[in-house]
Amino acid sequence: MSALAYALVAFVLATAIATALFRDVLSTIVVFGAYSLGMAILYTYLLAPDVAMTEAAIGAGVTTVLLLLTIARTTRPSPDQLFERLDVPAVVAVGAFLLVAGTQVLPEMWAVGDPTAPVWSNAEVSQYYIQNTYADTHAQNAVTAVLAAYRGFDTFGEAVVVFAAGVAVLLVLKREVFV
Amino acid sequence: MLELLATHYAYALMFVLIAIGLYMIIANQNLVKKVIGVSLFQTAIFLFFISMAYVEGGSAPIVPADETPGELVVASPLPQVIVLTAIVVSIALTAVALSLVMRIYAEYGTLREDTLTEVRADE
Repeated sequence: MSALAYALVAFVLATAIATALFRDVLSTIVVFGAYSLGMAILYTYLLAPDVAMTEAAIGAGVTTVLLLLTIARTTRPSPDQLFERLDVPAVVAVGAFLLVAGTQVLPEMWAVGDPTAPVWSNAEVSQYYIQNTYADTHAQNAVTAVLAAYRGFDTFGEAVVVFAAGVAVLLVLKREVFV
Repeated sequence: MLELLATHYAYALMFVLIAIGLYMIIANQNLVKKVIGVSLFQTAIFLFFISMAYVEGGSAPIVPADETPGELVVASPLPQVIVLTAIVVSIALTAVALSLVMRIYAEYGTLREDTLTEVRADE
């Protein structure tokens, strides 16, 4: 783990905590945009540039616009103080979850980036796609090859989900067209 | 403990982000902030998949134009594709949730959960 990874983890953590605690909704949305951007850079560090680009465009871009549109159409309560008061029972519940996850689950997981971890070294799954992507699809980007060739039908299903969501939004807002 | 955090940093961050997302869903009274909490929870899961695909000293999943490439140290493409799909589904979910929030505001004139509970109890 390098200094860059430490800095990214610290940035993501700080923006996430600020997102949870800011009382003003507009500040929360802006900090959440920064969080998404930090996350995108962390994905790039973890060798996933395609995911990072999608996260930057959709997480930091579209989500922020949707959230801003919502508070523009509804209300933004004027805050009397900067931070929310901590909800003690919720902190206890979440702390219990963290304690169990940190002491029981985390030590059982493979180290990050371990080349012997089955997710990566499995000869029938991950290694098959890495070895045969070019022979099977003639695409050099393995992510594109899986998304559009091996799992093309899943991507079609994803488009159906987006269509269904669009119809649901129109129905809920009782409109016939967007905008 | 510190050594564990250094080798498992991405998974540790994932658990903390899940905790923060859960806290926002439970404790924040504003409905928009609850939706942001759900969104934050989802990005924690995305981070989990991405860090599973990561391999130390490797490169992004780009393969050479060669039918028999031999040993390659590149990140696994499969978890990354799942996350790409999940990000698009998450924006669809956020859009539907926010439109419901807008309808609730049009109906009740408030976005606070405690006020909503009171108004609904009076009906």
